[in-house]
This record gives sequence, C-alpha cells and structure tokens, in this order.
Amino acid sequence: MSSPFSINGGACVAMVGKDCVAIACDLRLGLQALTVSNNFPKIFNYGDVYLGLTGLATDVSTVAETMRYKVNMYRLREERQISPQTMANLVSSSLYERRFGPWFVSPVIAGINHTTGKPFICGFDSIGCIDFAKDFIVSGTASDQLFGTCEGLWEPDLGPEDLFETVSQALLNAVDRDALSGWGAHVYIIEKDKVTKRLLKGRQD
Amino acid sequence: MADRYSFSLTTFSPSGKLVQIEYALNAVNQGVTSLGIKATNGIVLATEKKSSSPLIDASSSSKVSLITPNIGMVYSGMGPDYRVLVDKARKVSHTGYKRIYNEYPPTRILVQDVARVMQEATQSGGVRPYGVSLLIAGWDDGIEPETAAEEAAAPDAEKKRATGKTGGVLKGGPSLYQVDPSGSYFPWKATAIGKSATSAKTFLEKRYTEGLELEDAVHIALLTLKETIEGEMNGDTVEIGIVGPPADHLMGYEGVEGAQGPRFRKLSPQEIEDYLTNL
Amino acid sequence: MDSLVAQYSRPAFSNEGYQEQEQQELADVAPPLSLKFALPPVAQQAAWLRAMTDDHSNPEVPIKIAHGTTTLAFRFQGGIIVATDSRATAGNWIASQTVKKVIEINSCLLGTMAGGAADCQYWLAYLGMQCRLHELRHKKRISVAAASKILANLVYSYKGMGLSMGTMCAGVTPQEGPALYYIDSDGTRLSGNLFCVGSGQTFAYGVLDAEYSYDLSEEDALELGRRSILAATHRDAFSGGYINLYHVKEDGWVKHGFNDTNPIFWKTKLEKGEFSNVTADLE
Repeated sequence: MSSPFSINGGACVAMVGKDCVAIACDLRLGLQALTVSNNFPKIFNYGDVYLGLTGLATDVSTVAETMRYKVNMYRLREERQISPQTMANLVSSSLYERRFGPWFVSPVIAGINHTTGKPFICGFDSIGCIDFAKDFIVSGTASDQLFGTCEGLWEPDLGPEDLFETVSQALLNAVDRDALSGWGAHVYIIEKDKVTKRLLKGRQD
Repeated sequence: MADRYSFSLTTFSPSGKLVQIEYALNAVNQGVTSLGIKATNGIVLATEKKSSSPLIDASSSSKVSLITPNIGMVYSGMGPDYRVLVDKARKVSHTGYKRIYNEYPPTRILVQDVARVMQEATQSGGVRPYGVSLLIAGWDDGIEPETAAEEAAAPDAEKKRATGKTGGVLKGGPSLYQVDPSGSYFPWKATAIGKSATSAKTFLEKRYTEGLELEDAVHIALLTLKETIEGEMNGDTVEIGIVGPPADHLMGYEGVEGAQGPRFRKLSPQEIEDYLTNL
Repeated sequence: MDSLVAQYSRPAFSNEGYQEQEQQELADVAPPLSLKFALPPVAQQAAWLRAMTDDHSNPEVPIKIAHGTTTLAFRFQGGIIVATDSRATAGNWIASQTVKKVIEINSCLLGTMAGGAADCQYWLAYLGMQCRLHELRHKKRISVAAASKILANLVYSYKGMGLSMGTMCAGVTPQEGPALYYIDSDGTRLSGNLFCVGSGQTFAYGVLDAEYSYDLSEEDALELGRRSILAATHRDAFSGGYINLYHVKEDGWVKHGFNDTNPIFWKTKLEKGEFSNVTADLE
C-alpha cells in the first residue's frame, strides 16, 4: 500500500493495430485513498513518439520533463524527429542511469516509425529493461486487470476504429476493478499521418 | 604565478589570429597527402604510406582507421596526434551515442564530436592543438539523396511532414567531411589534405563528375595520388579505405535476420594492386 | 391447564420497560458460539491475530481482509436515514461493486457494515438471531439500545483479536422512538443523531454536516443521504459502486433503492452543475 508505485495510482496501456497503434491512460491523481485530481494525464508527446508514464506522480512529471529536454536536444542536434525505437533506447539508458535510486515509474512507448512506416510499442521496468511486444503493453496499478482485459479483447490487425474500441474497453473495464485508477481516460489512436485524441468519460467513483 | 601556466597556450595575437592554430595547420601541410572522394554509392579515402626505412614492417602500421562500422577516417599531419583522435572518436561514438541510443552516430554527429575534441584543445589550459587534419567518411541509413529528390519532385507530394531544423527524418547516404586543428569542419564531394593538397584538389576538380560510382572514385583517387606520390606506388605504399555496400562477410557470423556487415572497410594490398594494374 | 396458559401467555407489549430479572437475562446472553472458534495455536493469540490481519500497520499481511466503505445514518424528524456505498476492496483490488452493506436485522432494525466484511456479516446475523430469541422470550421486540449492547459486549469479548467492524444500529421502537447507535470492534458504543463510518466517512461528513437539520423533510433527508454517499464515492478510492438507501420509520424500514452511482453522478453534475472539478471535454 505504501509502495511508491501505488501511492498516486494510475494505469496505461498501448496496443498495436494494422498500420496504427493506440495508447491510453486514466486521469486519476490520488494520495492513497484520497482522489486529489481527476485531470492528470499520463501520456506525453515527443514528435512521432508517445510516452505513457505511470507510478509516483512526482517522478512521472520529472521523467516526462527530463525526456522533453533530451528529445529537444536530440532534435536540435540531429535536425530530425526521434524515432520510437531510438526513443525507447534513450528512455532505457536514462532509467538505468538511476539504477541504484530509480525513478518510480513504469513507462510505455507507442508510435509509428516514419522511416519504415511500422507500428512500434514497448514497455519498461523502472530501471530500464525494455519489453518489446508485438501485441500490447500495460502498466500501472491496474496492470493485472489490464493484462486480463487485453488478453481477452486484443486481436491482430485491428483497424483504427476497432483498435480504439478495443483499447478503450480494455482500459475502462480494467480500471473499474482498481481502486486507485480511473476517473476518466485519454485515448490516442496513432496512424501514419494522423493522430486522434479522445476523452473517455469513465466512472467517477 | 603558478596558475599562469594553466592558461590556454593558444592565445590571440593582437591582429586577431591564433598563431598556434596556424602552426598546427603548417604541421598538417607538411604531412603526407590524403584524399577523399564521394561517389553515389560510397566513398573512398586514400593516402600514401611512407616509410623512412626499407626495414619498416609496413603491414603493421595503419593510417586509415575504422571508427564505427559505417564510418572511417584518414589524416594528414602528426601520426601520434591522429592515434589519440582515433581513440577519442571511437570512445565518444559509444559514450556519447551508442550507449544512449543503442545505435551508432550518424556521420555528421561523429564529425561534430571529433571537431569538439579538437576545438577544446585550442581553448584549454596546458594543451596544444592537434597537429592533424582529418577526412571522415561515413554512410548513414535513412532517406538517400536520390529518393529524397524523387519524393520532392513527385506531384502533390505530402507537405504535412515536419521539416526544417527540428523536424524531418534522417538524411541517409554517403558523406565526407574534413576536420581541421581549429575544430572547423567542412562537407566535401571530393578533397585532399596535406603536403600536395592544393595540386591534388586542382586535379580532383578536373576529374570529378556528378553521379560518380565507387569503382570510378577509387580509380580517380589512385590517379590523384599518383600525381603527388614520391616513391613507388604499390599495395604496400598506398592505403585505401572505402565506404560501400554492407560487407556481410566481415560480420564473423551469419543467419541473423536484419544483421548488416560494416560498410567501411580497408582494401587489402592485393585489392589495391588489382586497381593499380588497371590504372 | 390454567397455570400452563398463564405461564405461556402474556399480553403483547403490556410492559415496555424491563424488569430486573429481564435485564439480567439480557446481560446473560453469553454468546454460546463465542468460545467455539478455533484459535491459533500460539502463545500470544490476540497479538498474533492482530499482526496477521491488520493491513493498516503492515500492507503485506498474509490474511487480507476486505475493507473500505462509506456508510452513514442520521436521525431526523421523520425517522432515520441509512445509506451506504457497495464497494468491497482487498488492497487496491475491487473485489465487488454490489455488496449489501445494510443488514436487515429484522423488520424494524438495520445494521450497517464497515471494516471486515465477514466480521460484520457474521456478527450482525448473529445479532439478528439474538434479537429474534429476545422477541420469542419476551414477546416483544428488543430495544435498539439492548440490541446494540449485545453487539458491543460481544465484540468487546474478542477485543484485541483482530475483529474489524464499524457498524451502526438503527431502529425505531415504541419506547425509544428513532434510535441510532454506533458500535465498533474496539468496543465503543455511542448513541447519536448522525454518524458516518468507513474510509469515506470524512467526505460524507463534509456534505452531511453542511446540509443536516433535524427538521429535514423525508424527501430532503433521503436526497441528503444519497448526496453524501455520492460525494464519498467520488473522492474515496475505496468507496463506490451503488448507493443503498433506507428509511427507518416507526412501523419498520423502507428501502429506497440500490442504484448505480455512475448515472447519479453525471445527472448531479450536468443537471445541478456540481462536481465542476470533473472534466467533461478534452482540454
């Protein structure tokens, strides 16, 4: 209960579809049982790449801003956008730098590689081990529930609309079984040249 | 008083020159000539390997070096300084890039990193500038120039893609840079450095054509070298490095999907001899 | 025969007060079950049980007990309103959203459930049994005071052994009128006008205290109960699910539904403009 990973609560999920990827998060920020805010998004955008961060809220903000700095520096130096794969390695090495005093976050990456046109998702543990997945990645206090809903709902080659429905149901039904997640959600559907962001009105209890 | 000696030895002269850097350039201009030519499908780096004595074992010394699997380097000037720079370039390509992004740096990034090392030697205390100029040749994965031109020419090409200084994708293909002791660097289609740089460049200007193939570039490189070389030209007195198609046979293993061999490799004396006989 | 009839018949409700002997009988309702529980085979049984089950002091306890609740009850001119949420949690896991936390002890007595679900369910059922026995013995309904005391004495006898309950007994009897008692597993027993119990109690108190008055109309009182639980389910992670509403009157309790909070929440937000903290649009 007092693990840094479950003080503030929160959930995030990413999924691969046909020529598209989805990433979604809940909006709760809590202090143990007390819900402090219901507008705390956990997905951050870095050009072509979307980074979801769950865990200790202070670290979520700090890691998101640190990565913003690093990616901006990369973009200025290299005169190009960072690819999801490169971003994954950057996140991994940045997390491992704190091997003996980790950021209490569980990051998730989703994006489409603009050179290859291929969808990409991956997840990390808090010290940077990358989990490459072909189907879906889950994180947060509702991760057990998300594994269940994703295993049950996901199928290969979903189009953008079906993927939206799948990821939304997976997230909503998972957080409804987690006391520390929920209170609304954001969903991003990422296609090659189009990103759709939607707000889900979840249960408010 | 003691800290006077920790000041930079490279100090502006009243006229605004940094004479130490000019002296370093003098050292370069006394060095053995090296040249590089960029082709559409690769780059060639070439230099003369001089030995002061016939007793020298030429095969054990090397002036053309691999930095990353796709980037190679040659120099004119002071050999010992070059070896230090090769070490630093190899190191920075890992610490400053591969250990962070798990991929090797693009050529321009590596060039900038090496140029920074050389610039710092013009502004730091207790050091002298490096007495070398470098030619750095590399191949980058990404959108190659021809493809990029085609896409731009295509009617109703998508304009939505973020471009400019902070957008766009990696521009791929071959690139050739020169780095000087001051830390300045220049991209070239073809160039030469060292003792006979001026005459070699005049020669290259005559022989260089757009749309050159790698084979032709090696040929031109040897012709240029022939104009300036003092001794005999053979597989032991000429060193050539090329950036070309992935050399999968140099990987040391096979059967791994997606694995690519190094694009930079040195030509063996036998290969050089073969080119020389066709000259 | 006459003596038999005299022995077994007594006019119902002829005597609302208790005689000394009756009072002694009440006190003697020593729980026959109480000493039949298997206890852990260790020297310090109470301390051991507490250590094994108290997840507040140690979140990694081997025996996890369902917790987290908001329950409330208040007295007003028209009787007593009892309202609860319906969520059961084990750690952060939501074990159920449809728990019935109002326990219908009999047609005139309600108990509420907070803390250990099993403890509450078991002992309130047991209380129901004792109340029925009392009714059979005395041919009249037990007073709320007496019923609550049975429970309080019972949990006191297990004090320190890890029982976890925070319960309210609400009922209306002819001799007491509307009566409300709070009993918890520490042995506390309080009578009062207004109680909120559970992890969401503070949020419920916030709304309830602001709007409460003894002279509330029945309609307003029911709405206040509903609104207080709604506030608690919104802010307290361990409260939620459905709102269970009861009204205890002189002639017994009336149930006013078991309704999902979700539509109630959005209706409250959109129609009354409350909960403006919740975003309904992107950005």
